Amino acid sequence: MVNVKLVNITKRFGEVIAAYKINLDITKGKLFTLLGPSGCGKTTTLRIIAGFELPDEGKVYFDGEDVTFKKPYERGTAMVFQNYALWPHMTVFDNVAYGLKIKKLPKHEIEKRVKDVLKLVGLEGLENRYPLQLSGGQQQRVALARALVVEPKVLLLDEPLSNLDAKLRLRMREEIKRIQRTLKITTIYVTHDQEEAMSLSDNIAVMNQGRILQVGTPREIYNNPKNLFVATFIGRSSLLTGIVKDVRGDYAVLNIDGTFEIEGRIADGFKLNKGDRAVAIMRPEDFMVEPPAIRHNVIEGIIELTMFLGPFMQVRLKISRQNLMVYIDPDLDVKTGSKLRVYIAPSDVYLFPFKGWEEIEFEALA
Amino acid sequence: MKLRINVKGGIRRLKFYLDPVITIQILIPISIFLLFFIIPLGVVVFSPILYAEAGAYSPIDVFKDPKFISFKPVGSPIIIRDLHIDNRTITRITVLGASYGIILNSLINASIVTVGATFLGVIVAFILARYNFPGRTILRILATVPLLITPFINAYVVRKIFSYNGLISWFISDILDLPYQIHIDKLAGVAIAQIMTFYPIVYLNVFASICNIDPSLEEQAENLGAKGFRLFRTVTLPLSLPGLAAGAAIVFIFSLEDLGAPIAFRERRLMSMYIFEGIRAAYAGEILPGTATLALILLMIALAVFIGIKKYVSLKQYAMLSRGGRWRPRLRRPGIKGLMVIYLVIFPLVAFTALPQIGVFVFTFSEKWAGPLPEGFTLKYITEIVANPDVSRAVVNSLTYSFIALLLIVLTGVSASYVVSRARIFGVELLDVLITSPIAIPGLAIAAGYFMFFTKFFKYTSLDPFTTGPAILLILAYSIRRLPFTARAVFAGLQQVHVALEEASLNLGAGRFKTLRSIVLPLIGLNVLSGALVSFVYCMSETSVSVTLGGIEPSQAPITYMMYEYMWGGKVWGPHLVAALGVLLITIQLIVIIIVNLVLKQRYAYIGV
Repeated sequence: MVNVKLVNITKRFGEVIAAYKINLDITKGKLFTLLGPSGCGKTTTLRIIAGFELPDEGKVYFDGEDVTFKKPYERGTAMVFQNYALWPHMTVFDNVAYGLKIKKLPKHEIEKRVKDVLKLVGLEGLENRYPLQLSGGQQQRVALARALVVEPKVLLLDEPLSNLDAKLRLRMREEIKRIQRTLKITTIYVTHDQEEAMSLSDNIAVMNQGRILQVGTPREIYNNPKNLFVATFIGRSSLLTGIVKDVRGDYAVLNIDGTFEIEGRIADGFKLNKGDRAVAIMRPEDFMVEPPAIRHNVIEGIIELTMFLGPFMQVRLKISRQNLMVYIDPDLDVKTGSKLRVYIAPSDVYLFPFKGWEEIEFEALA
Repeated sequence: MKLRINVKGGIRRLKFYLDPVITIQILIPISIFLLFFIIPLGVVVFSPILYAEAGAYSPIDVFKDPKFISFKPVGSPIIIRDLHIDNRTITRITVLGASYGIILNSLINASIVTVGATFLGVIVAFILARYNFPGRTILRILATVPLLITPFINAYVVRKIFSYNGLISWFISDILDLPYQIHIDKLAGVAIAQIMTFYPIVYLNVFASICNIDPSLEEQAENLGAKGFRLFRTVTLPLSLPGLAAGAAIVFIFSLEDLGAPIAFRERRLMSMYIFEGIRAAYAGEILPGTATLALILLMIALAVFIGIKKYVSLKQYAMLSRGGRWRPRLRRPGIKGLMVIYLVIFPLVAFTALPQIGVFVFTFSEKWAGPLPEGFTLKYITEIVANPDVSRAVVNSLTYSFIALLLIVLTGVSASYVVSRARIFGVELLDVLITSPIAIPGLAIAAGYFMFFTKFFKYTSLDPFTTGPAILLILAYSIRRLPFTARAVFAGLQQVHVALEEASLNLGAGRFKTLRSIVLPLIGLNVLSGALVSFVYCMSETSVSVTLGGIEPSQAPITYMMYEYMWGGKVWGPHLVAALGVLLITIQLIVIIIVNLVLKQRYAYIGV
């Protein structure tokens, strides 16, 4: 188990910048997640840590030792690949035992450790099967076992759950968390699924376009997004744009299309002035339908579309010239075309300067 | 200062990507190709300039000599004569072709052969790719029969069929009782024999191209109202152009460098024959003026065609652009008119092109074949393979050379393909071009290069054929010339193996060599084996270098050299013995085809770019 440190890592593929000045300090024994949309550079960063790619600039340290130029087989990492990369010509046992055989461990110890790790991932009795005879979830477990059995310094997981169906994904997510907490192994996890990242990680780094935008605990990132991209990428978000009418300390009031006003918290590290254009980011689950006791923002709109999602109802409201998505109690009787009034606490509204929004909006569409 | 840091960084970077195994894998093919391919061919390029032969004969003289280039044809292409035979007056139509000098003859012949083979190949490919009719499988098999290599003897059968007392004349004058005889020979005969031999190359390339066309592209055109020939002309044909161009280019080069048909037709007025006889004359210390220049011209044409086609094909690889939706072959039943064309024109034509290979068997098992039909059944020519020590030694020689060549081919082919498909180093694409180029480089150019290079610069060493015999050079030539078949099969296999499978191994602490041995090789084993088998077949039947250099030391002569001797020797039983050896080659080829297709379930590698 080691502490992994990336200093100023930059990697270009031709014109494309896959990683730009990445600095990370990943604590020993923790589960760290690189989160971002596809093509943001998170897998490249992981592959640089594994030694499959050489960074154009920057250094990789394991416990203070510079490993930037070390070959993959000299690093002692173990990776679980997105497509599992199980060798089809070897049995489950041979796949898992491979790394131990390379280390030239005695035969009885190999057998014991393979047995133990297969038990850990819940695959006892399947030693002699071939990968193609296993289900997707079982293959996933073999890949995990093969990585864990060598007791790596760092465990690297590259979107390990993306090829599983939704139900299995939830179960494997719990398994991975349980195993990681049991073995206390430094783990770097790559995913584009923010819910997966939230539920698994000790710390998350949100990436976009090769850059790290924010590093923090899941709670920090969810409750205190440092920029517009993080705010909109994490969780589902509803948003309205308007003009700053008034600034009161950390809070500001936005005028929306000249029809109503909404108060919110100015995001950390930003400044808003009267007359600026700004974006208000809200979580759809933070809206209430019943008037609360303390003072809240009141937003009224016409219901354009309703979608029943099980635990709640997703409603699209038309508010002057903009749309707003809110989640409401599914038992409420609402009709398309009728009016709905919702309430949201000013502390649940994050205000960002408008600048930079168009770029993100464009990306979200593309 | 900054520069020094960059250089140091650059070396560390290179060291990161170039582990010892990859380095060796790059060095093996490069050193082999440098020493036994590039430098000898370089000698071919420079020798006409460096060593002006016999004083006065400079390369420019070649272009002035009417023997090489003449715009006034010698001989009339068609001669019609009336003969009186057995109280009948018979009109004999003799087609020999006109000679425009050796260089022009070769170019004209190759052009005619390319056009003919392309025409026939495209028709057969289109019919087989788009129509379903009773007998389709038989037509498919018949159309690939000419690919069974039987050096000299297949062309000799064509010559016999088109002789004035051959099968065709006999059919016209004796069966149909018409007062005509047809005799096709010399240049015209070479063209016909080559079209019959080479058109399947076009057919297979075009067929593969058509099969790669997304059916929805044609369906869309039909949906917009295009059908029949219009559909073919506007959609199918343009989309299969890469295959067509590749096939046609290969045919052009093969026709230029072919020795089989010219030797069978005793046609000396072609470049390939002139180079061949020039090198043979050089054994005896004689000099045939212009040999080196012709070898250079041959090499340059082949190179130009190869590079041009490589560029063109890579530009035009759009046939399989779109995927998704259903993907099943668009086979339909032809109408009555179509069926009539298929059964009355295409079937007889394709069956006719398979005649030479059938004729090889007939020759082998018949006592005598002087007139239109063979006479008497015998096994003596087959048993001669074992009984005649000269012949059996040649067979053993060929087997030995081919097996040793195969070891080199597998080592070089696996190394080079692995580097090309995996190493991320600047310039690996060039290695790919290099290892696939021998398919288009004339064997005669290699033979000429070896002869000039090794007899001059390696005199009295084991590489000098006059010191130790041609065995080593033949093995090297086989290895280089037949490498592309294995290299391509291995490359195809490597593309099926996801890189992550190797990365997983490296990640778990296995080095490159261990990864190669326990992950990569087991996964591409079948591809290596099937590629090697195909290379082996083509080693056994290699002709150009074998007949050119194989005669330097008779005890080291390979099978194809023996065939040439018996074919050229003029003995009555000569062709029968050559045919028996042809049957031996066919048998080996059929065994390999069956193993590759049915046992290994791989696609038999065919000749293309």
